[in-house]
Amino acid sequence: MKRDTTNDTPAPKRRSFPKAFLLSLPMMLLTFAMLTGGKPISGPSQIVAFLLTYCFLNLFFFLMIYTGKTDRWRAPVFSAYSVAFVISFVTHLLEARGSMALSEANILRAQAPFCHMVIPMTLIPGALTKTIIFPGTIVGSFASISSMFILWIGASLSLGRGFCGWTCFFGGLEDGFSRLIKRPIIKRINPVFTYLPWALLLFIVLTSAAALSPVYCTWLCPFKAVTEYVQVISVKTLVQMVIFVTLFAGLVVTLPILTKKRIQCGLFCPFGAFQSLTNKVTGFAIRIDPDKCVKCGRCVRSCPTFSLDDESVASGGSRISCMKCGRCVDLCPKGAIHYHVKGTEPRSSGTLQRLLFLYPAFLFLATMGGGFFKDAIVRIIKLAATGHMI
Amino acid sequence: MNRLRSVMGYTWAGLAVLIILVTFIGNGYLSRRLAAATGVTVSPWITGGEVAKTSDYGTYRTVVHRPVFDGLVGERSEGFVQVDYEPGSGPPAVVEERVDFKRDKGIDFLVRLDTRAGTATVKDLAGTVVAIDHVYRVGKGWAVRIALRRRM
Amino acid sequence: MEAFLLGLSNGGVCLAYCAPVLVPCLLAGSGGGIPKAVGITAGFLGGRLLGYLVFAVAAWIIGRALLGNAGARESIIGLAYMMLSVMLVVYAFTAGRSHSCAATGMGALMLKLSEHQGLSPLLPVAAGVATGLNFCPPFLLAMAASAEKGSLSYSIFFFFMFFLGTSLFFVPAPFFGLLRSHAAVRTVGRLCAGLVGAYYFFSGLIMLTGGIKSL
Repeated sequence: MKRDTTNDTPAPKRRSFPKAFLLSLPMMLLTFAMLTGGKPISGPSQIVAFLLTYCFLNLFFFLMIYTGKTDRWRAPVFSAYSVAFVISFVTHLLEARGSMALSEANILRAQAPFCHMVIPMTLIPGALTKTIIFPGTIVGSFASISSMFILWIGASLSLGRGFCGWTCFFGGLEDGFSRLIKRPIIKRINPVFTYLPWALLLFIVLTSAAALSPVYCTWLCPFKAVTEYVQVISVKTLVQMVIFVTLFAGLVVTLPILTKKRIQCGLFCPFGAFQSLTNKVTGFAIRIDPDKCVKCGRCVRSCPTFSLDDESVASGGSRISCMKCGRCVDLCPKGAIHYHVKGTEPRSSGTLQRLLFLYPAFLFLATMGGGFFKDAIVRIIKLAATGHMI
Repeated sequence: MNRLRSVMGYTWAGLAVLIILVTFIGNGYLSRRLAAATGVTVSPWITGGEVAKTSDYGTYRTVVHRPVFDGLVGERSEGFVQVDYEPGSGPPAVVEERVDFKRDKGIDFLVRLDTRAGTATVKDLAGTVVAIDHVYRVGKGWAVRIALRRRM
Repeated sequence: MEAFLLGLSNGGVCLAYCAPVLVPCLLAGSGGGIPKAVGITAGFLGGRLLGYLVFAVAAWIIGRALLGNAGARESIIGLAYMMLSVMLVVYAFTAGRSHSCAATGMGALMLKLSEHQGLSPLLPVAAGVATGLNFCPPFLLAMAASAEKGSLSYSIFFFFMFFLGTSLFFVPAPFFGLLRSHAAVRTVGRLCAGLVGAYYFFSGLIMLTGGIKSL
């Protein structure tokens, strides 16, 4: 591949301010409706939280439309969403049961909020035994199993693995850590590791089916360190906690900082591998125009989940693991990469197609994240006013 | 043909926003329908299985669950029975429950629970008990799981 | 289910290393279309099953002979799990660079034989038996796991389920040669085998600790 030795900057795709505003207007209306839920907001802290959330989300969407840059404005919203989620979720746990830890009683009474990472492990036992191997509520409570399945189905049909780039409340933590330093310290990673999520997916699906227990949640999930975990009351649970904290420190914090890549998402997360399959269902893809591409390799180097390589670039698109975050689209110096609606001409204009993707992607992010943003802001206001968040 | 594919592509892409709106606005309704349509429940290995018998002794109550041997396909050779203890007013320090989990009118085992310390012992009467698997603290009461071996 | 899943998690590796034996058989039988290819694959798999069942009996005999005392049983099986799991991890990451199982030598032999016309229909069966009688680490782990139980019927059933798990990957073989993304399947299979090795190492450690305590 030819090396780009010049410092080309990507061609700007700015719109006029009035046009950008008009194109952002539907999102303003939609987010207003989704954030209020059609109900009036009461209480000064709730009103402040709503206004801050609403303005923050719509400002960044407007900037996406106005500047023509996607990932540049997606990333801060996505990372802020993950931080807001952690604040909101942890404070809810502390309010509800006084601890982040899941007690034996919580498990026996099936009171754990359901997480999307469990989905692949539940499918075989669910199909064969009509039971869900997770201690959650089937329907009717916060993050009930059924409601999370509906959210996952909706996200998969509309975004495919764009779920990981726009919706996953864990991914934003890594995304944020991966942007802390200017240049990567570790530059080369063996491409064999891009298959590890698939191997781990196969392993956890099979062992969870055999054990009728969610093996990844019990032993391997790094995000247990910042959300909820089984109470440490034995050697086994202590070993589990050590594994969670080590994986979080390594895969979510340290390696993303050093490599400027989403290591957990790209090289470990079995749910990500599973979600890659839904890229076959969604109507959107990333396409590379071979007439414009100069094979500089910038997209391959910058992709956070290793979804571009020489082979995929030569064939005009990204690999199945593409999260549609838009970083390659932003960075391409020749504007050769664009969002594409499947079934349409490969070299058709990317402008309309980008808009068609941005609307559902940002709407999902805003609706999922909006609730957590508002709650986190209310908690912060409470902390400032009273000295505690709960 | 190309035109048809293009129209279908744009239609599917355009529907994405609608799908998301339906997902969020209709989440309550859709999740209830999904739960009802699939009929799934939480695994008995987690909850202890359905309640088979409840006994009210005035100062306390015991709940015996059905035996759980559920496997991925068929039944496993080892499983458990869960016995819950729920205190009322003035419960005794030690309670004993006779359990007939095979429903053949014979007592299969006796389980004794120290309600202060949360320790339990089991006396096997039918040759199916392996051991006390675990004693869980549940609110003010306890749940005892007795590991069993299924007789072929 | 443990046996089926052990076979399934290693099936990718089994496919990758049995393919050099199966493909020449399929090539030799070409001209009969898909039905003939299905017949050849079925014969090959039948031979593998026969090889596996021979080892099922061997595993039972080993279990009875060595694993009398309960404490010693736990310790021996635990130690076996730990050693075999290390071998499995090494096998998973070095297979392909050096000879790893009988398949490599068999593949060359099959290629030579396939050059001749009028091959015996028993050749795929013999090839299957040869690849089935093979001490690769996933196979040895299956032996240890079934020896632990000490029952002949269980041992035979365990290996039958292990065979089913590995054979699922062979189903597409008659239809389009082998999977197009053969390298990807092999890589995923190797990594998965490594994870299975880690799981058995951990299980072995727990069994060894429990076994030593009860001695």
